[in-house]
Parts: sequence; C-alpha cells; structure tokens
Amino acid sequence: MSESPIDSLARATPPALAGRIRGLSDRSIAWLFVSPTILLLLAINIFPLIWTIRLSFTNFAANKPNAEVKWVGLRNYERILTDPDIWQTMQATAHFLFWSLFFQVVIGFTLAWLINRKFRGNDFVTTLIVLPMMLSPAVVGNFWTFLYQPQIGLFNYAVEFLTGIPASSFSMLGSVALAPWAIVIVDTWMWTPFVMLICLAGLRSIPDYIYEAAEVDRASKWRQFWTMTIPMVLPFLMLAVLFRGIENFKMFDLVVQLTGGGPGDTTLLTSIELKREAFEKWRTGYSSAYAIILFVTVFGLASIYVKALNKVKER
Amino acid sequence: MSAFSVTEPSARSKGIAAVLVFLYAFITLLPLLWIISTGFKTGPDSISYPPKVIFTPSIEGYVNLFTSRTRINEEDRATLSPPANFAEAIVRERDMVITGPSRFGERFLNSVIIGFGSTFLSIFLGTLAAYAFSRFRVPLKDDLMFFILSTRMMPPIAVAIPIFLMFRSLGLSDTHLGMILLYTGVNISLAVWLLKGFIDEIPREYEEAALIDGYTRFQAFRKVVLPQAATGIASTAIFCLIFAWNEYAFAVLLTSGTAQTAPPFIPTIIGVGGQDWPAVAAGATIFLLPVMIFTILLRKHLLRGITFGAVRK
Amino acid sequence: MSKFFNGLMRLRRGAWEMLATILIAIGVFMLMQPFALVLFTWSFPVTLLGTVMFIIVSKFPE
Repeated sequence: MSESPIDSLARATPPALAGRIRGLSDRSIAWLFVSPTILLLLAINIFPLIWTIRLSFTNFAANKPNAEVKWVGLRNYERILTDPDIWQTMQATAHFLFWSLFFQVVIGFTLAWLINRKFRGNDFVTTLIVLPMMLSPAVVGNFWTFLYQPQIGLFNYAVEFLTGIPASSFSMLGSVALAPWAIVIVDTWMWTPFVMLICLAGLRSIPDYIYEAAEVDRASKWRQFWTMTIPMVLPFLMLAVLFRGIENFKMFDLVVQLTGGGPGDTTLLTSIELKREAFEKWRTGYSSAYAIILFVTVFGLASIYVKALNKVKER
Repeated sequence: MSAFSVTEPSARSKGIAAVLVFLYAFITLLPLLWIISTGFKTGPDSISYPPKVIFTPSIEGYVNLFTSRTRINEEDRATLSPPANFAEAIVRERDMVITGPSRFGERFLNSVIIGFGSTFLSIFLGTLAAYAFSRFRVPLKDDLMFFILSTRMMPPIAVAIPIFLMFRSLGLSDTHLGMILLYTGVNISLAVWLLKGFIDEIPREYEEAALIDGYTRFQAFRKVVLPQAATGIASTAIFCLIFAWNEYAFAVLLTSGTAQTAPPFIPTIIGVGGQDWPAVAAGATIFLLPVMIFTILLRKHLLRGITFGAVRK
Repeated sequence: MSKFFNGLMRLRRGAWEMLATILIAIGVFMLMQPFALVLFTWSFPVTLLGTVMFIIVSKFPE
C-alpha cells in the first residue's frame, strides 16, 4: 500500500484542524475514529431495519407508492406464520441446510484429518482445495447448470462413466426427486473446504504431549480419537456448523442460479420465496414481516455464533 | 521402535493420506478446469457428447463475449469486404458480422469500480474504528462489536427491501455511489473485526515508547501502528474486495443498467438457442481468475478472514 | 443441574445465556420441522423471546 488512509486524511484536513486533531485526547480520538463506522452502519443497516419493522405492520406496496397505506397490526405476521406454502419453503431450506452441512462436516473433517498427517505438499494441496470457496456463487452456480445438463454435461457423463447409468436418462435440475440433491452437491463442493480449514485449525491446536501421554497410558488409537481428538476439535466444528448454518439458511445466489426454485417448488428456499414476494409480487408490507422473521432467526443464531466464537478465541 | 515418534504418522499412512487428498483435490478442481477449457472451445465442441477433453483451442468464446453480432444471409455476405481483423474472421465463419462491442466490458469495469471503491472506504473507516476498539476504552465496546458483526449476518434480501426504497427516494438506485456505500456497509463489519485482531497483535509497548519520545497519539498511530499493521490491512482489503466482487443478491435487485456488476450479467449471456456456453465460460474465467490468484496469495490469512478473525491457526 | 437453577435464581449470566440459547435452538427447530403447522406458527415468538432474552442477559454479571 503506497499511501496509508491516515496520510490521505491528514492531507485532506486543513493544517489548523490537523494540528488540533493531533493534540486531541485519547477519548476524543476514540470517538472520532469509531463514529464514522457507526454512522455508516446506522444509515445502511439500522435505519433500513427500523423501516422494515414499521413497514411490516402495514399493507404498503412499493410499486404503488401513492396508494393509501393502511396499518394492519400483526396481520402480516399471522398470515405468514399460518401459511403452509411458507412452511414448505422452510422445509426445503431445512433439507438443503441439513444435508449440505452433514456432507461438509463428514468430508471436511476427514480431509482435515488426512491433511494433518503433514505429508509432503500438504500446504500446496490445501490451497488448491480451498479455491472453490472463494469464487462468486452466482457465476459458479450458473456454470453448474451446464455441468448438470443431461447428455452433454460433465457431471452426468461422470455418473455414466462410474455407474453405467446413461447420461441422458436423468436430469439433476429438471427432476423433482433429484433437484434438492443437486443444490446440496454444489453447496458441498463449494463449502467443504471451509469446514476443512476450521477442522484443520482445531486439529493443529491439539498439543502433541497429550498424545504422548495417552501413548504412555497405552490408550488405543481408536480411543484416543474419540476421547481426545473429537472433544478438542468440537468447539471449532461448532463454529463451522453455525456459520455455514446461518449462511445456508439465507442462501440465495447459488440456488437461484442453479434452479431458480424449481422444478415445481422443490428447491424454493425461503430467501428465494421472499425475493418473489418482495420484488415480483411487490407485497412490500407482507414481505417486510417475512424479512423480520428471517432476520430475528439469523440474529438469534448469530448470538450463539458469537458465544461460540469467544469460546474458540479463549483456546 | 527407537527413532519413532508417537505423534509422527508412519510413512505408509502419510502416503495413503496424500493419495486420497490429491484425488479429492483433482475431483474438486474439475469443474474449474472445465470452466477454463470450455472458454477455449467452439460452440459445437462445447456441447458434444461425450464431453471433449481434447479439442482444438479456439478464441471464439472470447470474441463472442466481447462483441455483439448479427446473422447475415448469403447475398449480403458476398457484398462484404474481407474481414478486418481476427475477430471479424472468426465471426464470419459462423455467418455473422460484428455489430459492436458487448456490454461485458462495462459490466466488468463496474465490478472493478464498485469493488475497489467499497474496499478503500471499508478499509479507511475500518482501520480507524479497529484501532479505537483495540486501544481505547470505548463505552459499550462489546455491544458495539457485536452490533457491527450482526449487521453482516443480515439476510441480503431482507435488507434489500428498505434499501431499495431508500435508494429510490435518494436517487441512488442503479448508481455506482449507491452500490459502493452499500457494499461498504456490509464489508465494514468484516474489516473492523479482522483489523482489530491484527492491531491487537501489535505490542502496545511500541506506541508507548513513541508517546514517551514526544509523539502525539495520532503520530504514534500513523508512524508506528500503521506500518506494523500493513500486511493485516492488505489481507483485509483483499477479503473486502473478494466479497464485493462476488456479491450477487444486492446487485441483481438494485442495479439493472448503468451500475450492474458482472455476476448478474454473466448468466444472461445468451447465444442461439440458450446460453452461449463458451462465451459464459470465457466471462467466468476472466471474472474468477483474479479471485483464484488472490486466494493463493492470501492462503496464510484465509482462515482468519473467513471466521472474522476468531481462528488464527 | 441445581447449579443451573441456582444461576437462574441469582441472575447469573451463564445460566440465562444457556436458557436463551436453548430457546433459540427450539425456535429454529420449530420453524423448519416438517411435523406440525402449529409448531411453525409459534416458532417465531419462541425465537424472538430467546433472542431478546439473550440481549438482556448479556448485561447480567458473570
């Protein structure tokens, strides 16, 4: 970095004021430094949130800004929470969330456990494995629709090659039975490295002397694994599961590109349904209530996440 | 038994682990290799059965990505002058002529402007806030830090509703400035949390020594803390950039024309009868490659970045 | 277990945080379970209660 942010601040500040900034007390510097961030977050996050809460009690529609806005009390919440279709989207989300986490944890932990043997080139291969995680989910998701094409897609061809099921006989994204698994596969492909990295950090945080002591006590490898390795890695694993859980609960970009919610409503995750209500049907008040329900859920999970975070930090 | 350490796995178990992990790496990288190779295929090659691994490379995908074309009939074709350049020649072979540049260039440029703009702003504000949180007694510090983190957790679609209304009334819809502010709002939480971790690691003694030498707090921050935090700041910047670069939900809902970034644009690249896969793959390659390079550069700090600085390895 | 109730009675943070965490977890389960619509209906109040409780009890002494 050729120019630090402060250099530019100092240059942009008139000399007299700059002199005064330099002589400020610690307390004022603290406020001066923190307040721009807080102000920005208030404007971009908190103000909209309060606005959403307000809208959630009305029947406002954003495509009819001049129509009369009526106060409807808790009606929007009541309608969402008794709607079997919305409940259905929650179950689709649950299926996606549960299975993608399940595979990510199993594969991710196994990989971390293997990589932790410190064979030659383990750093190099870790870097390669991590690549999918950092890429744009929308762009990658779009390309996966190509890999999933019956007949010409690489995925279907690989299945044919390995199992003999003809590549043109099934469509991962077109079939009601397969589509929920198609999105699980792509999410697992993308995010297993995340779980792997965190597990690896957990495994590496276990000091060698614990195993040496266990070896002296003649504890079997199997017993060592269950009584020492797993409990020591568990807080890290919790962290990974919570984080991925929150992310997948609000999953939008990847799945919207892969299936758009179809076929039927089999992969209609709750965020995609919210997008339809808010930006296609323009039921702004109703979808604001919907948004608040999702937000409170995420906020609750995030509180637990931060608690888990602090636990790991203490290690 | 003597030269054998209990914590050091045997050569055989290392070998098995290496084979399995490299096998996984190969499988997981196949889709990425497929994206890159499809970008160099011709249209028919890209949709052949069985999928072609060996093919004659062509830059048709890239030409299609950057141009818009129209089909011409036999008679008009005879009247055309010979192709002026290689791109024209490739397009002619498919009975088409180039009518102008495509919008991919602009969209890519938008991604660059919005990505770098929001990264600069987040780092600027984030460094200041992180320093204050790290060094001073800020009232309600823990609550503020949690508040900052929780803003990051909000589902984008939920936030997009009021943002959409707010931008509409402020005239910020579909503008670069609006998107930069929005992405800064999302990224700043990451920046504050990561940078606080990096600054916490710089011993306070350095600054205290500088203060005793007659530096003001501000000078100590500039001349002692910032240079020490430089690598931390650089890696945080890359994380912010990657987020803004990859973001899709806000971009697709809040931009349509002038400020649209590449992620909502790439899936809309269509050719005759559906998506033009070589062109999509070419666009994806150009778009994803910088992130892959950054990921490799960042590998030491990767874990930190994705866990908000909690796990430091 | 008695330590847990003791913590609740004496307004200690750890015990209450645990209770709030359990409430949030139950609420999230109710939201996404496939068994009964009535559980889905009441999931939001439960999660909200847990979340609000979590914010309040973080002010309690350790």
